Amino acid sequence: MLRFILIRLAVAVPTLLGMSVVAFAIVAIAPGDPVMMELRALGVVPKPEDIAALRAEYGLDQPFLLRYLDWLGRAVQLDLGTSIATGRSVVTEIAMRLPATLSLAVSALIGAVLVSVVFGVCALSRNRGVAACMRGLTILLVSIPSFWLALLFIYLFVLTIGWGRLVSDGTWSDLILPALTLGLGAGASLGRVVYERIRAELSEDHIRLAIAKGLAPRRILISHIAPRIVGPLATAWANTFGALLGGVVIVESIFGWPGLGQLILQAIAQRDFPVIQAYLVFMGLIFFTMSILADIVVFFTDPQLRRTLSDD
Amino acid sequence: MKHVSFFARTTAATLLCLPLAFSAALAENALTIAVKQDRYSVDPEKFTFTTRRPAAQIVETAVKPDENFLPAPLLFQDWDYADGTYTVTLREGVTFSDGTPLNADSTIAALKLYDTGKSDFLQIDQDSFEKLGEYQISFASETGSALVIENMTHRGTSLFGPSEDRAANPVGTGPYLLESYDPNQQITVVRNEAYWGDAPYVDQLTFRFIADDNARLLALQNGEIDIIGEVTPQMLLSMPQDGSVVLHESRPIRYVAMMTNINGEAPFDIMQDRQVREALAWAIDRETIASVLYAGRGEPAKGILPGWMFNLGDTHTDGFGYDTAKAADLLEAAGWTLGSDGIREKDGRKLTLRLVAAYPNVSTVKPMPEMLEQMFADVGVDIDLVEVDDSGVYGSTYLDTGEADLYLEFASNNNTDPTYLLNNLFTTTTPWGGYKFFAPGAHVDALLSDGRKAQTRDEVIEKVRAAHRAIVQDDLVAIPILMVPNFALSRPGVDVPMSEYADWIDYGNVTMVNQ
Repeated sequence: MLRFILIRLAVAVPTLLGMSVVAFAIVAIAPGDPVMMELRALGVVPKPEDIAALRAEYGLDQPFLLRYLDWLGRAVQLDLGTSIATGRSVVTEIAMRLPATLSLAVSALIGAVLVSVVFGVCALSRNRGVAACMRGLTILLVSIPSFWLALLFIYLFVLTIGWGRLVSDGTWSDLILPALTLGLGAGASLGRVVYERIRAELSEDHIRLAIAKGLAPRRILISHIAPRIVGPLATAWANTFGALLGGVVIVESIFGWPGLGQLILQAIAQRDFPVIQAYLVFMGLIFFTMSILADIVVFFTDPQLRRTLSDD
Repeated sequence: MKHVSFFARTTAATLLCLPLAFSAALAENALTIAVKQDRYSVDPEKFTFTTRRPAAQIVETAVKPDENFLPAPLLFQDWDYADGTYTVTLREGVTFSDGTPLNADSTIAALKLYDTGKSDFLQIDQDSFEKLGEYQISFASETGSALVIENMTHRGTSLFGPSEDRAANPVGTGPYLLESYDPNQQITVVRNEAYWGDAPYVDQLTFRFIADDNARLLALQNGEIDIIGEVTPQMLLSMPQDGSVVLHESRPIRYVAMMTNINGEAPFDIMQDRQVREALAWAIDRETIASVLYAGRGEPAKGILPGWMFNLGDTHTDGFGYDTAKAADLLEAAGWTLGSDGIREKDGRKLTLRLVAAYPNVSTVKPMPEMLEQMFADVGVDIDLVEVDDSGVYGSTYLDTGEADLYLEFASNNNTDPTYLLNNLFTTTTPWGGYKFFAPGAHVDALLSDGRKAQTRDEVIEKVRAAHRAIVQDDLVAIPILMVPNFALSRPGVDVPMSEYADWIDYGNVTMVNQ
């Protein structure tokens, strides 16, 4: 197990390095000069030497490679620079927003897992009407863009019924609508995975034997099918969690949820390079961490994999 | 006994309800204002960035702009400029929120802070400060400018008192004190009971940072905020018309104009011909555009600076009407004849112009680009319309490279220095890179340079008028389209004292009427 994790971590180093190069390059070649944008917005009449001084302060006068190496050297010491827009350290900016985003993404994931189980299992119902309905609902929810669903929920639950509010301050009750918005679509997608995995398992010999023995469907599902599909589902959950972290950008903005999504939108608008670079790398890191966690779950739930790794 | 019991119960109920009554009364004097983003930056090295809207309630500038954008007394009681030296008398009886008196020493210290920032645009000679008396100082401009006092009307020059941590404990002379700051969420200020001036009407102001335009509008409709301080044109288009949202407007200040690339290289060299520029100016139906955009509150423009600003007046420019026949004649005279496909040609070259819309983004002028495309098509001009929704792309991809013929801009002179806008946008020495493509040349450079060096305000304004006329009339490098007010939205029953300058909207004196 330890060797397995160490190998995965060793592979992570070049992956993360590559990711950081890409993140840095994307930002470097993006059009827009944060210094000029800020100065024009402020109505300041700068002297050329003022502009040069600001550019030097942000390192924008250096060639790409030097800037990257300097940034990488500081990044490994957890110094991701200073936000051009706010003057706060980027680590502080991320730390201030991360809890809100994580709570939203985790809530949405929990909701998505519950929805997926309900959708997946119901889609296998012997009642053809229920099964067709669940499949139809799944397709509908997968197809609806999250921003549209968000606006629909706002209209229904905030403006019409008055159950929620738009000006969120990060309290738990404000989490419900954005989590629901994110979770429903993700849950529907996961529901397809649950449905497919259960269907695949149902054709396996040991399940046929269990059915022939007359075991109750619920017991077959919980005792025989669930343990075998947890591994593949964990991988899907990890990917979904990553997708949810990406998806929060729009939903956070619409619901005013004070998380990383709002931070990156503002950073892009203001060409706050240090924040954008850090965000991209940080998101990659989270994807990578989730992937390792999923691998560990698979390791523990798949005896065949465990045997193979032990033999190696 | 029954009566006593009833009396006791009534008294007890009244006493119990008193706090509720007081809280309701207090709530009447609390205001929540939604703004787009958190500009309350904390870096002391860049503290000119910290003094925008919310923080502007805590710190004050030396002078404030009057109704014509001329400097009026605030912390400076009066001032004089002679032989390159400013002599200033300070207002007496003013103290910073920490009790430090505003006097010659504290004012010089506050002004000197600006030299430590990297965006120092007061440009005061740091060795020139002199204390002439307890409430009198003098200083000189390091560039010989007579406009230093004008520049002090910018919120970015607010005077800070001494503080170890300017972000956590901003010390100013303003009508409010910082109550709480939740980065990227909200900032709350409460009334400064020791304020030297007239006490503001509102006890507490909370600025909520809500980035999404729709969310700001919906929050207002839902009664979660009272005022929207940053209104985009899209919000005006989607604003409900049932009276649930009230529109407040200033006098027109922002311009929509089409900048013309007169210094570009082929194929972006057609606009070098003034006749083509004038033809486009006559081909625009400004009345129709004004009726469609900005809730119908825009006005057809004769220039890019409003006449009321700096007492410029509006007689120094003539403007252009809507006359397609005249536009067609001008194009014919320039050698552009109508082709069989309805597009004009000259020497086998089609009259196709690339129009980039817009600064700061295309959303601010929609659907004007399409309307202009149609109007120009009517006189045989083909438009290659490029819509960009990002000022970075606008700047780096099209403006800095000069790879377009026309650039649609929605902006304003957000500075009380009369030369500011014209100098930055229309001189060959512009600090804003790509704007050199719009520079008429040495004569406008000279006018604005002379204006910046002029030693009397009248002389400055005379030069600005001449440069403005050259830009929007004689050389016609900027084709004026509309002048647009500054807007705010509120719930019904709220009266917002508007200002053309968003940083100068006096939220503390918003009046509220129970509905």
